[in-house]
Amino acid sequence: MKESSAFLAMHIHRRVARTLLLVGVVMFLGNLTWAADDAITIGIVMPTTGREAKPGLYQKEGIELAIKQINDQGGIMVKEKGKKLPVKTVFYDNGSDSAKAASLVERAMSSDHVTAVIGGYSTALAEAESVMPDRYKIPWLTGGAAATSIYSRGYKYIFGCLSPIALLGSTTAEFLGNLADQGKLKKGLKIALVVENTDHGVDYVAGVQDWIGKHPGYFTVVLNEKFDLGGTDFSGLLQKVKTAKADIFLSDAHLQDYITMQRQYLQAGLHHQVISYGARGPEADARKALGAGTDYILAALWWSDKLPYAQVQKFVADYKQMYNRGPDSWYAATAYDAMRILAKSIEAAGSTDGTKIRDALSKAELKGALIPGGVLKFGANGQAGYPFLVTQNKPEDKVDIVFPKDAATGPPVAPIP
Amino acid sequence: MTATDYLDLLIKSLLLAGIYAAMAVGMTAIYGVMKIVNLAHAGFLMLGAYFAYELFERFHLDPILGAMLALPVFFLFGMAVHWLLVRWLPKSDTPTLASLLLMFGFWLVLQNIGYLVWGNTAYSIFTPRSLASVRFGEISIPKDKLIVFAAAVVSLIVLQIVFARSWFGRSMRSLIQNPYAAAIVGVDDQKTARLSFAVGTAFAGFAGALLAILFPFTPDFGASFQLRAFVIIVLGGLESVSGVALGALILALLETFSINVPLPLYWHGWKFVYLPSSYQPAVSFVLLVVALLVLPKGIAGLLERKWRVA
Amino acid sequence: MNLSSAAGRVKSTLPWLLLIALAVWPSTNPSPNAVRLLFITAVWTTTSLAWNLVGGLAGQVSFGFAVFYGLGSYAAAVMINSGRSPLFAFAGAAAIAALASFFVGLPTFRLRGPYFAIATIGVGEAVRVVMNNLDSTGGASGYRIMEKGAFRQIEHYYYALGLVALAVVIASIVKNSKFGLALRAIKQDQEAAAAVGVNPYFCKLWVHAIAAALTGVAGAVHARYAAFIYPGSEFAFQTSISILLMPVIGGIGTIWGAVLGGVIFGIVEEEFVVRFPNIHLLLYGALLMLIILFEPDGLVGLMRRTMRLLKRWFWSKREDSGSPDADKVLWGRGSVEGRKL
Repeated sequence: MKESSAFLAMHIHRRVARTLLLVGVVMFLGNLTWAADDAITIGIVMPTTGREAKPGLYQKEGIELAIKQINDQGGIMVKEKGKKLPVKTVFYDNGSDSAKAASLVERAMSSDHVTAVIGGYSTALAEAESVMPDRYKIPWLTGGAAATSIYSRGYKYIFGCLSPIALLGSTTAEFLGNLADQGKLKKGLKIALVVENTDHGVDYVAGVQDWIGKHPGYFTVVLNEKFDLGGTDFSGLLQKVKTAKADIFLSDAHLQDYITMQRQYLQAGLHHQVISYGARGPEADARKALGAGTDYILAALWWSDKLPYAQVQKFVADYKQMYNRGPDSWYAATAYDAMRILAKSIEAAGSTDGTKIRDALSKAELKGALIPGGVLKFGANGQAGYPFLVTQNKPEDKVDIVFPKDAATGPPVAPIP
Repeated sequence: MTATDYLDLLIKSLLLAGIYAAMAVGMTAIYGVMKIVNLAHAGFLMLGAYFAYELFERFHLDPILGAMLALPVFFLFGMAVHWLLVRWLPKSDTPTLASLLLMFGFWLVLQNIGYLVWGNTAYSIFTPRSLASVRFGEISIPKDKLIVFAAAVVSLIVLQIVFARSWFGRSMRSLIQNPYAAAIVGVDDQKTARLSFAVGTAFAGFAGALLAILFPFTPDFGASFQLRAFVIIVLGGLESVSGVALGALILALLETFSINVPLPLYWHGWKFVYLPSSYQPAVSFVLLVVALLVLPKGIAGLLERKWRVA
Repeated sequence: MNLSSAAGRVKSTLPWLLLIALAVWPSTNPSPNAVRLLFITAVWTTTSLAWNLVGGLAGQVSFGFAVFYGLGSYAAAVMINSGRSPLFAFAGAAAIAALASFFVGLPTFRLRGPYFAIATIGVGEAVRVVMNNLDSTGGASGYRIMEKGAFRQIEHYYYALGLVALAVVIASIVKNSKFGLALRAIKQDQEAAAAVGVNPYFCKLWVHAIAAALTGVAGAVHARYAAFIYPGSEFAFQTSISILLMPVIGGIGTIWGAVLGGVIFGIVEEEFVVRFPNIHLLLYGALLMLIILFEPDGLVGLMRRTMRLLKRWFWSKREDSGSPDADKVLWGRGSVEGRKL
């Protein structure tokens, strides 16, 4: 009997211990909430590990630069509280995983009581995250995701600072059309489209084909292929490109695939009159990896540090001072603008209430923005729209803006020598 | 596609096969002897890549020499890892869940160390050779791929000689065939296991360094190569280096040609279609499943059976 | 009072008490974050219990459960978007996942041990690539679920709670039935089991179907909450690994182990990511390695060993018998994979 009661006690103890552990964990977490009353908390949910790690890091840096400058001025003026409140941040790394990204944004909104969340960076992550803002009535911005599908769902609390990718594609095509008009390219050339199998790639193709459809007689598409991300060997695909005998090679890829594909492209001895990798081109990592192999590659970008605006030069200088290197490509700039327009809207709303800030954001206009055009404004669906730049890598590590004409810093070179 | 185009693709597949074989042989050694599916193989590839990169950046050491240097360094590293972690795993004839998960955990740790030390920049090794190719008319052979292929082939031949001739190689083969019988005959399984793990790690580091010459890499480099290594091991069987080479060849050929060869399809009449490039990864995995079902001992097993019958 | 009936009564009331506690907990007005955490924990615990049936009970280690998770979520997503009720969508998800499990299992269950595991990896990746290319469900861009009506978090919570309760019930029934006995026999020695009249192939297929159905519904419930799914995350190899890590951490083969593993995964992993953004991979990997090296039976095994040690120190008069057979009677297990308890 003694043994059995001990045995019973053991069983009860084990089960009770387990149950108490479970209950304790739940209660502990249920009470883990705190609201900062004397500061504005902004949630930053960005990938700093995984596939999108580099752009995510740059965007985080852009946001933090903006916040530092705001805090140096004392913070954001909130009329409701009658004083300037400093900005605090809560940062979560979503590991480039969309389910985690959505979960972490929800955590920021429900547990950390943030005033707003800046998320992204890529479209897939943003699509998942964009479900949460309307549920919690907390505004969400991104300096990253540009696919139009995110903004066509009727969500009211999401705002995107990037022009649509379809516009990127059609701008590239428009630029090529310009070159044809100038006589640098002949009309009727054939295009090979080789894009990554994501909505980024799909939107890009849609934009290019849209422009071609509207302007008959300029170009025809002879190859339209998609490839899976993280490819190692593109020989088969490049063979298809060779067989298609196109004149222009347009691709849309992430940085690593861009480097791998361009290397194998050059090794295979391929040559086209124009090469473009979508929104990739002047990245420093690519230069290091390909040397002169990046010369004359076109890229359609949302921003370049060569833009002739005063605020751009100031941004580049401030960024260099804070991070000991210049901004790489466009990622940090759009995130910087996103934070600034958010700060402006919080001030305009005069409160930290999500709905009021959301209303202010929909009407907001950031003058002195870094992006082409100098003004950041959101459309009715929450996505900003502004013209793209087309840059071209020139020999000796130079990068020139070649389109639009009024922002150009150098002439376009086509066909590629 | 013209005949020269096919020839060009064939040559490219051969080069790719060499790279794949070098990468898979490390995993084969460990799996064959210890029946451990080394999920940290990708981590070793990544470390080998960064090793070559650091030597290149700091001492301007040619990455091929860096790869050769990786062999002894990673050999010692493999011995250390075995002594620390792997020798505690229970021994078994078939892979245990414990071994799978231990190596997976170790891979996560290696990835994080990679992020902490090198950040998430995509590094690559750029030499004057990187963009150059040897040209024969329409056919182009990239120089660095050729050198990597040569290095891989040489290392495989060396490994095969070690397998066939040395005492160590014979111990390994006996353990692969039947661990109990090997114990009866007097093979020291602990020592052999440790050496096999070290050899496997050494080749993983070597392959990683070679891969660094060809591709850009970040700390999560290696995952896609690891999956391919699975396919190659299954295809090639376990007992010989030539099996691995054969498996790598088949995989490389299939991957490259599957999207360039017209396939007959019946859909409202016979048509010839090209497989869209985005289905390319699926090809290797379907191949894996088919190979597992049809050839349980790999292609080498199939050939063996044929010879034995004769 | 009879020993076994008392222990049995304790065993069977505690889970029900826990269920009731969790069911009435929302009335205490908890924060949405806590509800979210419990929701996610419930979903993961269901997949953990499901995998445990195949991997822990029957001993077939599958690396391809993400296929069923993803197929379930896509099936439910399509059905919800065409206006069906959630329950119908979940049932549909279960049916489709179970059907898929037959397609996967029919060829792969002919393989043994490591070859089966590798084959499941191949199947998982192949399905992912195919779904990535399927334009009718959005392909690589993902698929959005547009549900009419307001979002009620508590409703999702109750669906998840119901699901995990169902999973525990099904797992218990399977484990304690003759079918479960057959599975355990298959795990230990498939030939011997066949010799005593068990049909291994048949049994494996059926347990696989049950597990796949549960996993499919878990995917469906989660998809409805997240409102956006895409192949890169639903069918990812990482998802398959996560699903199998939970029972291993908690204690493979036991039901409470699977539950504990789910809790740890749902709650602890996120805390790692939040508090240690730079080293969360390292911590998670280290945790995994420690568990494998020191306690392959998972946390449940750890608790058992601690209890046994305590018993030896504090109740030294009632020594344990010192024989593995008696240990088996007391603790249900004498050794695991060749190592003594």
